[in-house]
Amino acid sequence: MTVNILQKIRETDFFKDLSDEACAAVAAEASTRHFAAGDAMMKKGDPADSFFVILEGTLKIVTTDAKGDEIIINKVGPGESIGELALVDELPRSAGVVALEPVEALEFTKQDLFDLLARQDVSLGILRGFSHRLRFSTTYIEKVIDWSQKTAEGNYSFLDQTQPLVTPAGSDEAKAAQLLSAFYSMVRKVKEREDDLKEKLERLTVEIDQERRKREFEEIAGTEFYAKLKEQAKALRQKRNSG
Amino acid sequence: MAGKIVSIHSFRGGTGKSNTTANLASQVALTGKRVGIVDTDIQSPGIHVLFGLNEQKMGKTLNDFLHGKASIREVGFPVGKNTGEGAGRAQLAGKELYLFPSSIRGQDISQILREGIDFNKLNEAMQMAISEFELDYLFIDTHPGLNEETLLSIATSDVLIIILRPDNQDLQGTSVTVDVARSLDVPNLFLLVNKALPKYDAVELKKDIEEQFQATVTSILPLSFDMAENASQDLFLLRYPDHAWSVALRNVIPYILNAE
Ligand SMILES: Nc1ncnc2c1ncn2[C@@H]1O[C@H](COP(=O)(O)OP(=O)(O)OP(=O)(O)O)[C@@H](O)[C@H]1O
Ligand SMILES: [Mg+2]
Repeated sequence: MTVNILQKIRETDFFKDLSDEACAAVAAEASTRHFAAGDAMMKKGDPADSFFVILEGTLKIVTTDAKGDEIIINKVGPGESIGELALVDELPRSAGVVALEPVEALEFTKQDLFDLLARQDVSLGILRGFSHRLRFSTTYIEKVIDWSQKTAEGNYSFLDQTQPLVTPAGSDEAKAAQLLSAFYSMVRKVKEREDDLKEKLERLTVEIDQERRKREFEEIAGTEFYAKLKEQAKALRQKRNSG
Repeated sequence: MAGKIVSIHSFRGGTGKSNTTANLASQVALTGKRVGIVDTDIQSPGIHVLFGLNEQKMGKTLNDFLHGKASIREVGFPVGKNTGEGAGRAQLAGKELYLFPSSIRGQDISQILREGIDFNKLNEAMQMAISEFELDYLFIDTHPGLNEETLLSIATSDVLIIILRPDNQDLQGTSVTVDVARSLDVPNLFLLVNKALPKYDAVELKKDIEEQFQATVTSILPLSFDMAENASQDLFLLRYPDHAWSVALRNVIPYILNAE
């Protein structure tokens, strides 16, 4: 194993802060894999028997929509791991992963993982990696819930109190932040449309000249025809009501 | 219980009386009621167009009845048996809907304008239409303004729907009509706003107008390019039931059906 790879292992979420010796142990368990652009690292539905830690290059996580067209769910890059959840819950791959450029990755089989878990320092690192992710997701989810409730009530005050987040691309934090910032810009646009609509709605000023109204009514009601009509209408109603 | 007379009126012309009357009457007929429509706009008849009638297809008219030249039976045109073209109208096939049209022949119009209308005879036409055709509802499309035949329609109606556009000229005229209808003891007086620009807040508009006239605004129908383009060629409500204008117009139906 080259120093280069040890260095890269230390930059991953799972194995950061490990000693050189521990990193070397990790590297020794894993096999290094190379993928050319367009190669599939995983296929949807495949049994989950290993997981990968990306050292170099980016990949897309894809699924297909109802029409069979490809949808890119996410992109992953150096330092990130893919497929580790499936190793634990033993469900088949939920999405496909395809290299977007030449990719170098460490592959750990289930057995490799179990062997590594025997080392306390490595298991701690892996646990830390998992909890780090969970913690971020929870914080962001709470934020999104809070904003959703405020938006539903028409309270947009958080738009002014919050700065859109800028975080380095690629990290887990960045993905959660992306969700938050997508939500933020959605609410901002909703508010803009709402304001726009409010501006457009006018109130008709109902102005009636009451003098003229009275005069015109009296002109009609003052005729002989009208007096007769009123009598006839009354008689007609009485007849219809009794008949 | 005798059939009810529902008059549709507006102070000014072109507010949408004929379109509204034809569509409301048709919608009520679709529910299985027996419905008639009298065109008392003898000066400028218009509602026949919505049912695809022209001078050739039009048989005996209200004018003939008023001149003693035809019975009311002969005047009533069974729309359900002659729906003609138009996807909206086609739905009326087999329904009990009768149109009592006004003559569109220039000669007939000038004669009646010259000689005037016998009001007892016009009243008789309405009462006979109801009894002979066993109508549940008789809709009356009127001439704008407050001329004598219109006053008669208002006086005899059980339900009066006054259509207005949201502008101050219409509001001024409507105020006089409302006063006249109250003085003639019309039992159910309703307002209906048509051709409302989207810039107006419908909720405020309804509130302001109701406050001004102390009468219910049954609905606010939007000004619609689609309606204008339909140009009275078909029954818009039946043809485009999901259109905003149709949805808003349907809100008026319960006011008619539930009127005392
Ligand atoms: N909401 C609307 N939006 C746009 N156009 C409309 C609307 N309502 C009616 N119109 C159009 O306005 C015109 C007048 O309608 P209509 O003939 O029904 O009115 P009216 O009150 O009977 O007129 P008149 O007073 O001449 O008898 C028609 O061309 C009709 O298509
Ligand atoms: Mg008309």
